[in-house]
Amino acid sequence: MTISSSTTSRGAGFSSAPRQGQRTANWRGALSRYGFVLPAMVFLAIFMLYPLLYTVNLSLFDVNAGNFLAGGAPFVGLDNYKEFIASPGFIPSLVVTLVFTVGSLMFQHAIGFMFALFFNRGFPLSALLRALMLVVWVLPAVVSASLWRWIFSGSYGLLNSSLGLFGISSSEPWLVNPNTALIAVIIANIWIGIPFHMMLIYAGLQGVPEQLYEAASLDGASAWKRFRHITVPMMQPVIIIALLLGFVHTFKVFDLIYVMTAGGPAGATNVLSIEVYKLSFEYFRFGDGAAAANVLLLIPLLLSALYLWLRKREESTQ
Amino acid sequence: MSAHLQNINETRALVVPAHKRRRAASERPNWHLTAIAIVIVGAYLFPLYWLVSTSLKSPDQIFTSPPTWVPTPLDFSNYTTAVFDNPVMLRALGNSLIISIGATLLTLLLSAPAAYGLARLKLRWTGVLLLPFLIAQLLPAINVALPMFTLFSQWGLVNTYSGLILANTVGTLPFAVIVLRPFYLTIPKELEEAAAVDGATRFQAFFRIVLPLVRPGLVTVAVFAFVMAWGEFVFGLTLSTQREMQPVTVTLNSFIGQYGTQYGPLMAASTIVAIPLIIVFIVFQKHITSGLASGSVKD
Repeated sequence: MTISSSTTSRGAGFSSAPRQGQRTANWRGALSRYGFVLPAMVFLAIFMLYPLLYTVNLSLFDVNAGNFLAGGAPFVGLDNYKEFIASPGFIPSLVVTLVFTVGSLMFQHAIGFMFALFFNRGFPLSALLRALMLVVWVLPAVVSASLWRWIFSGSYGLLNSSLGLFGISSSEPWLVNPNTALIAVIIANIWIGIPFHMMLIYAGLQGVPEQLYEAASLDGASAWKRFRHITVPMMQPVIIIALLLGFVHTFKVFDLIYVMTAGGPAGATNVLSIEVYKLSFEYFRFGDGAAAANVLLLIPLLLSALYLWLRKREESTQ
Repeated sequence: MSAHLQNINETRALVVPAHKRRRAASERPNWHLTAIAIVIVGAYLFPLYWLVSTSLKSPDQIFTSPPTWVPTPLDFSNYTTAVFDNPVMLRALGNSLIISIGATLLTLLLSAPAAYGLARLKLRWTGVLLLPFLIAQLLPAINVALPMFTLFSQWGLVNTYSGLILANTVGTLPFAVIVLRPFYLTIPKELEEAAAVDGATRFQAFFRIVLPLVRPGLVTVAVFAFVMAWGEFVFGLTLSTQREMQPVTVTLNSFIGQYGTQYGPLMAASTIVAIPLIIVFIVFQKHITSGLASGSVKD
């Protein structure tokens, strides 16, 4: 084709405005370049960035049910933050959030990893069976939550009536007991999170060259040694990204816990996101809620920075 | 892959005889592994079976110990009470359909050009422009819902479909852009350059030539947006205070308070909420798998 001869000049003219052109042509070039990205950027600026900045503003005023619509809330500076951090509920809520996040993540990742390794061995129907597991991942959190409420129910829930099969008579209301509610919610969340970790790890395993394992087994390396010295080092970037993303996604979980326990009993499952919701939408203390929301945002934000840095580093090594 | 490991590869390829390397690949199919996998996946999916089977039981089959494993006879009355004779639930299903489809369309409309712009044009600050999309994916929904409620109260967007569609798109758009961008990266630039030679503008080239080629990516994005919006809960809970405007996830939650321990109707309603996603999942399974892998790991 004749195109190839002219592509270079045309291609250049496409993306960068012609240097010899007048100011208007230059402007039009820039406009068309950014024009594609602009609508999405404007959308996010109005509906994401502005609300986030608005939260910062909100958190500096004593906005409550009384002055929420009328306006005129008094400026209180950082008092909402100080109050929230000093409130008796903050430290327990932070601890519950961290236990929930770390507890969920450890098992989601470990079990997901084992599933991925198993599926990676390759056998008939493995793709179909692997895909079936993803059904759990697309399920709305509210549906999973109501299902696990039923499983953990005191009266004839699946857990109790299954224990009956082993001769253990139990009518323990797992979600009502402050000692077991958090564990029950974590178990439900592990179930939900397994496919995500399995998919990420499985995709990563595809990139580990088969010959490494073959060579290692010819050298007499045991399965454990092959895992320890080939899989883990090769998979390190994927593992880190899965754990980071998993942490951020789990740290902010709201719907599952809200539907299963609404933060109860006695604050046993009262994660920070639930606390933010209660402050704003149950007590209508929007100023306090906004301060709490910004505290909630801090940890994922720091981890996001780490995630972006890792992404960048990985891109540059590719 | 690092150069170091590539070297190892090449070395091994030389050291290990070819016939030995090939043997592993041409082994007999491992049907015994399939059997184990069926048991494991079956156990993993058992709670889902429990969801559906409970919904098909009469109360005297639900509250038994040991549990009734298979509902006999099938009892559809839970579906009648919880869904088909329940105008609140039917309305909520309609609301969710409108909101999810609206959010899906808006997501496509905004993400298709944005991802193209970020992939193709050598913008000086592509990295900087990509940043908000990456960070937005990691935001807790409640952090957006809280200020959005106060702002939408002022803008008259609380209890409207448009409000919920806009809010849902905040959740879906960043993901869509991240998932879609790699699809554009695979389209050779020469195609658009050829169009430019023929006198097409950049927008014409985008619509007529590029867009049809990334159709699989657009389908992936549409599927994800729909799945995310259909299951969304936080925006529905905070931005729709009237029952008539609530999405089905919020209605399902208020069901729990209302029906308490009547798990038959609750599981029937839950199953109905899950069904559209399961259908979408079965039809578009390949798109979901590839999207999850490409969107989350790297692009």
